[in-house]
Amino acid sequence: MKGLELIKQAFALQEVERVPWVPFVGVHGGHLTGVDAETYLKSADEIVKGVSKSIEEYNPDGVPVVFDLQIEAEILGCDLQWAPHNPPAVISHPLALGKTLADLKIPSITDGRIPVAVEATKVLREKYPDVALYGLVTGPFTLALHLMGTDIFMKLFEAPDEVNEVMAFCTKVANKMSEYLIDAGCDIIAVVDPMTSQIDPMTFESFVTPYCSEIFSYVREKGKLSSFFVCGHAQQNIEAMCNCKPDNVSIDENIPLDFVKEIALKKGISFGGNMKLTVVLLMGDEDDSRENAMECLDMGGKKGFILAPGCDLPMDTPPANIKAVSELVHDPYKQDIVRELDKKESTLEILNMKDYGQADKVIVDIITLDSESCAPCQYMVEAVKRVAPQFDGVVEWREHAIKKMDAVTFMSSLMVKNIPTICIDGKIEFVSQIPPKAELVAAIQKRINAKLKLKIQQRKSKILLLCSDEDECTSIKQNIHRAITELGKDVEVKVISDKEKMAKYGVTNGPAVVTVNYKLKSEGTEPSLDVMKEWIKEL
Amino acid sequence: MSELLAKIAECIEFGKINKAAPYPPQMKGQDGADEFTAKAIEEGVNAQDILTEGLMVGMQKVGVKFRENKVFVPQVLMSAKAMSTAMLHLKPFFASGAVKQKGTFIIGTVEGDLHDIGKNLVSMMVEGNGYKVVDLGTDVKAEQYIAALKENDNAIVGLSALLTTTMVNMEKITKAIKEELPGAIVTIGGAPVTEDFCEKIGADSYAADPQGLVEYLDSKVA
Repeated sequence: MKGLELIKQAFALQEVERVPWVPFVGVHGGHLTGVDAETYLKSADEIVKGVSKSIEEYNPDGVPVVFDLQIEAEILGCDLQWAPHNPPAVISHPLALGKTLADLKIPSITDGRIPVAVEATKVLREKYPDVALYGLVTGPFTLALHLMGTDIFMKLFEAPDEVNEVMAFCTKVANKMSEYLIDAGCDIIAVVDPMTSQIDPMTFESFVTPYCSEIFSYVREKGKLSSFFVCGHAQQNIEAMCNCKPDNVSIDENIPLDFVKEIALKKGISFGGNMKLTVVLLMGDEDDSRENAMECLDMGGKKGFILAPGCDLPMDTPPANIKAVSELVHDPYKQDIVRELDKKESTLEILNMKDYGQADKVIVDIITLDSESCAPCQYMVEAVKRVAPQFDGVVEWREHAIKKMDAVTFMSSLMVKNIPTICIDGKIEFVSQIPPKAELVAAIQKRINAKLKLKIQQRKSKILLLCSDEDECTSIKQNIHRAITELGKDVEVKVISDKEKMAKYGVTNGPAVVTVNYKLKSEGTEPSLDVMKEWIKEL
Repeated sequence: MSELLAKIAECIEFGKINKAAPYPPQMKGQDGADEFTAKAIEEGVNAQDILTEGLMVGMQKVGVKFRENKVFVPQVLMSAKAMSTAMLHLKPFFASGAVKQKGTFIIGTVEGDLHDIGKNLVSMMVEGNGYKVVDLGTDVKAEQYIAALKENDNAIVGLSALLTTTMVNMEKITKAIKEELPGAIVTIGGAPVTEDFCEKIGADSYAADPQGLVEYLDSKVA
């Protein structure tokens, strides 16, 4: 199951097989297609192109059609300043500049940029019948602030009736916008009211609850779903938000997800969020994004949770980061890997591996999640298992399942980043792909040859001839030299006749012959204790 | 005298502007910051004491409550309004030098960003804690911060941003300031800003709330 059906299931607090994923693509859609924010938000065509691209790239279950909280404000007379990388900003507040509520009219479907939103919705509906389309409306408190400016904050106390009148008007606007967007084909109405994060619960209950409740109840009457989006430090108001009876609340990284989860589920409401927009998605890399998404997925759980960024994606968010999240969402195996690595990375010690792989045998290490539970890992292990006996004891293989801490340490020490990976004598050879038998054999053989070559180069031998009287061993000496010549070997011959020195070799009476093999084991490095032990075992 | 200063502090803490103000309901009909400050001056209370032992005490309490999520923007704005009403009475003493400020703080919302609620709030809180504040407004470029720093010796500068995209400009501006004036102290704040980000861009301090900034400034001028 996917798309709208999956989201409906999550909204209904039913257990889902996979957490639904809704990347809040706003002007980021323009980034995907190469247009600036102003061009994007003023054109239904551009929005359709951008959202379509995001659906293709990010494989979402739902997307917002237009993420711009200035559409209503612009129609109602707020001046906008446009920017290339952001939605526009409201720079004037008509009700603070002498206009009265009587001067303002509820926007009609042909006003301002409403046709852009409506048209884009219709086309996307047709094109993607299964993807949940979120229609965004400006929350009444945020719209009231656009209209009144920051005076609204003091008027909450000094002129509460005036604030109530403006809120009632903004609620009518929101209901009308919801109607236009639902009729155009939106499945979910998201009331986006970030400015409510700036007020206390009591003020929220007095000035926001009655109005937002009205919008959610209107959406319910229209037979559609609703969500309450609040970005910012809104922790104090989560319970009050739930009491407005939306079908879902969505929050950003300012609020701990587990806190929202607890309250929302208790109130029988689904919840969403809260991937970190800036430090992770905008400025981090794919690993950071996966890690953060995994945290959210694990904390959110499979009942009533929608994975989403905290708010609309910054325009220049690297698409690779969002793709990484999308892949993670759709691939439980990837989730297992991220989860295992996450848990362990913090306490990780990195081993010094510079001397790894110097033993006589060739060591093949397979880094896996766990070959019993992960199919690709299993195939990789089997590939090695099949090939190893051909080398008749020369090749030793080991599996390192990263479910165990020491395996994670080992993996990081070898700088392995992907799973599964095959290392030969500590060098990464095969990443993720299961090597064909011939390639694996060739890789191992190459290493054996390299080691053999090294061995030949590194060997030095000596023959010690121990005899107290030189004359006594003339014939032995001749034989040794003849043997060396016949065999063509590079062996040094040394005669020891000093009694004390002879005793060191356990020889009291000559003649005796001692052969000595030297083997250069390291040069210019300081071998670690572990490596030393390996060498000593060989003696 | 100390009773009068305590009254002033209380009016600031609860945002009681003057007798006519309906807010807060529990202080309805009572004198406010306006009346008590006038009375204190009339009675010959030292203007510096009115500032540091009356107004600033109240403002600090609001700052702490704001940090602890006990009050929110509307309440803080009421306190700030009460503060500025009281300050009108103290203005002549600032001009004459009878009241000294702790230092100068330059603030502005960064280039590309037009949001000023957060910036104004911080500005009011810093002012209410005894600093001279130079407010450069919104959409402020690096050169403007630098010019203001040159005009105000030993001032500390604060960059504000609400948007994730404009917060990126903080890095550029911080670098420009540090390049031109290596000793300058740059503080940053705003909804999307974090401690991590502060470290990343080489700014000197990040505060999650105005009180945090005030405490940082106090530590620097002390």
